[in-house]
Amino acid sequence: MRLSELAVGMILWAVPLAAQDLTVVSWGGAYEAAQRRAVIAPFAEETGRSVTVARYDGTWSALAARGATEGWDVIDMLADQARVACDKGLLLALRPREMFSRAALSDFTPRRPDRCAVPQNAYARVMAYDDRAFPGIKPTGIEDFFDTERFPGPRALQRGPDGILEWALLAEGVPPEQVYGLLSTDRGLRLAFRRLETIRDDILWWSDPSEPAQMLAEGRAVMAAGFNGRFFDVAQSGMPLDIVWDGRIIGIEVWAIAASTDTPDAARAFVAHAARPEAMARLAERIPYGPTRVSAFERIGLHPETGVPMRAHLPNAPQHGGRVLVRDDAWYANTEALRDRRFRAWLARGD
Amino acid sequence: MRTRTQCRTGPPGPSPQLRMLVLIGVALVVGCAASLAAIALVDLVALLNDLLLVAPKTRVQWESLPLLVASATLLVPTLGGFLVGLAHRYLSPAGHPLGPPAVIRAVQFHRTLPDLRSGLVSTATAALSLGAGASVGQYGPMVYLGALFGGAVHRLRLGIPGLASIAVSCGVAAAISTAFNAPVAGVLFAHEVVLRHYATRAFAPVTVASVTGYVIANVVFERPALFRIDFPGVAHGYEFALVAVLGVLVAGAAVGFMRLLLALGPWLGRLIAAPALRPALAGLAVGLTALALPDVLGIGTSTLRFATIDGAFGLGELVVLIGAKIGLTALCIGAGFSGGAFSPSLLIGSLVGVLFWTLLSGALGVPSSGAAIYAIAGMMGFASAVIGAPLTCILIVFELTRNYDVTIAAMVAVVFSNLVSHRVFGRSLFDEQLARDGIDFSQGRDHPHMAALRIVDHLTPDAVTARAGEPPGDVDWRLAAKGWREAFVLNGDDRLLGIYTPGRAAGEATMADLAQPAGLVFEDSTDLAEAMTRLRGFVGDAVPVVSDDGTYLGAVSEADIVAAWLDESARLREEENASV
Repeated sequence: MRLSELAVGMILWAVPLAAQDLTVVSWGGAYEAAQRRAVIAPFAEETGRSVTVARYDGTWSALAARGATEGWDVIDMLADQARVACDKGLLLALRPREMFSRAALSDFTPRRPDRCAVPQNAYARVMAYDDRAFPGIKPTGIEDFFDTERFPGPRALQRGPDGILEWALLAEGVPPEQVYGLLSTDRGLRLAFRRLETIRDDILWWSDPSEPAQMLAEGRAVMAAGFNGRFFDVAQSGMPLDIVWDGRIIGIEVWAIAASTDTPDAARAFVAHAARPEAMARLAERIPYGPTRVSAFERIGLHPETGVPMRAHLPNAPQHGGRVLVRDDAWYANTEALRDRRFRAWLARGD
Repeated sequence: MRTRTQCRTGPPGPSPQLRMLVLIGVALVVGCAASLAAIALVDLVALLNDLLLVAPKTRVQWESLPLLVASATLLVPTLGGFLVGLAHRYLSPAGHPLGPPAVIRAVQFHRTLPDLRSGLVSTATAALSLGAGASVGQYGPMVYLGALFGGAVHRLRLGIPGLASIAVSCGVAAAISTAFNAPVAGVLFAHEVVLRHYATRAFAPVTVASVTGYVIANVVFERPALFRIDFPGVAHGYEFALVAVLGVLVAGAAVGFMRLLLALGPWLGRLIAAPALRPALAGLAVGLTALALPDVLGIGTSTLRFATIDGAFGLGELVVLIGAKIGLTALCIGAGFSGGAFSPSLLIGSLVGVLFWTLLSGALGVPSSGAAIYAIAGMMGFASAVIGAPLTCILIVFELTRNYDVTIAAMVAVVFSNLVSHRVFGRSLFDEQLARDGIDFSQGRDHPHMAALRIVDHLTPDAVTARAGEPPGDVDWRLAAKGWREAFVLNGDDRLLGIYTPGRAAGEATMADLAQPAGLVFEDSTDLAEAMTRLRGFVGDAVPVVSDDGTYLGAVSEADIVAAWLDESARLREEENASV
């Protein structure tokens, strides 16, 4: 334990806070289950504090609508959503320098904790397919998601512009480093939606991240866009689905604290605890979301139940090959309205 | 002849081994510095583009404030242009941006580059011009910046003939190699455009510098190429013929572009008296156009990428964009924005290529392998006509795509484009700019070198002159004493009246009566190349040289002219064939 983290812990012990409940908000499904065992339970055990877990859809607007009334304290967010929420004053300022030692701060990768958010894991938005649907040639590249001739069948896709616009341009042969630059132009958006249009009739929309893996398992879809951890979880249960790592979009998940929290110190203690390398490694052993601290990588071992070596399934494992895109959080945060507007206009054109 | 050549070479220099070490050492240092500087320039421009709301990626993040974006679009290029104009007016002794023509001139004539201060101001204004979104290119300034480092070697006296020129070429090669991640193209560019010969003494260090630039950009900094193209191949054989037609078409566009560019400068000079206001006005034109057509802003990396995607542009859009980009680039460069014509050429050429493809596959329904091949062929056809470097352009395609098919297609376009543009316009924009300054490379590199030597520097001290009123006897005696057969007859004002030849004299006549008009007279501006041409059919001892007002300056003997010619030829051949 780092000195500063110890200090925070000691303050917590000194103040009788145990009466107050801590509400941690997450996404549900396999991800939440892994979090409970890897992060939340050890924290509750160590501090003797009871933690309740609430669920939301990951948007800052849900935080704005429900955060204060439902007493949310710590929130698991996408980095870009946290940026927006921070700008809108929905999040508590964290003062990372007080929470972490200098050495701990430089241990974070690829980015450090900022004003409102502490990075906790790296996930990937990937495409997966049902092995049973394509007994011969299998999809290998992100272009195949849009190729309904060679790979016919319904595609499960999140109802929103996230990820799919990037894939559409990657499928046009745009190199990853230029994707966000091109999506910033009207022409780029037009081309992306033109590509999306080619699969309009084959799209099966989802909004809960646990759905796409389910849709594949139930045979409702043959391909799906979703998060690598969820697909991994379903594949572990024996479902023949495969992940296509080409075109994966790596994003950062963060911990943030609601501005409306009534237990800021306990919330900070939770975040400091969850940002320990041990906690990150424990999470990565249960669901393949990579740690955001360098020192956590070497601690990752086998899945505690199945015995699968987990490092090979992390989004940033070197053997995946293919094209990688790192989600540009600032761009995401500042273009949300535009992307949303264009996406809804595109949806409306089809109705 | 032999003794003269030895005279020029001077005292024996360092041993070949030492020369080799010095050359390679210079290449490494200059290559490193030029490469790092090129990277710094690209990064500075990217930073300015972000800060000044020129880059699409930053513009879109402010789209909720349309008024801010619109005012930035108008003000940034305008104010940028104003600052560029002021900097050239008050900070730079040269008073204008510097680019490849200045480098070519320095290397060819073994002169120093224009002063360092002008060079630095030109580089700074290039960063500002590109950063503020002017429609100019980055490679010209990068080449000049690389050359500046090479030029510093001029101060070292290491006893190697032509070292400064080689070092400048090293800087140029490293800059191009870094910019395109294309070391072979870097080497070729330095030889094709700057050095114009392939002597081992130059080739070896230039290659070392180019590879150094590549290593720094790729291995040390792991920078991606400025544009990457994945290309599947050419599907139909007849497309090579189509690409040849495209080559001819882009040559037409390139010639139009270059003529416009060269015409706009003087025209703007007459139109707007204050030089500092010219780039500001060009900037305003860019801003106004960008309000409706944001693609014209800056280097246009995104637009270049779109060109390789099938159907990214509509037909009308393409025509408008090509027209706007040609007009604005010519305006920006003509008005004095600091920057090159190469990257805009890449963009315009690729758009012409896409236009050709759109007409072909859309209107005529010809099956093709997609827009990308025509975009690349058009891009290189246009750019090679502008910079006069066909081999470099072919190699850039090869090194960027590592694809043989597309390289051959681009090669066909480049060759046909150069055929036309060379015939109609000239070898390149640079050569044409140099030709306007009296340095004409159209007949190869011998001619401008001969043309750089003035005949007045070769006057013979022995020539015999006679005064108008002198009796022939005195003159005959002087001629006999010096062994000459002709005397130049001058009047009281030292003006040449004619030539006197003894033997045909009669009685007491004076020189004035006996002088015959001179068949051949050189002026003080006559150069060696012109003198050599005019000597054809000349018979006599020497040719008189007069100033503008007819004052006799001296005479130059036929033997001295021939010797000067042979000396210069020998020097050039020696330079072109030097080993180490």
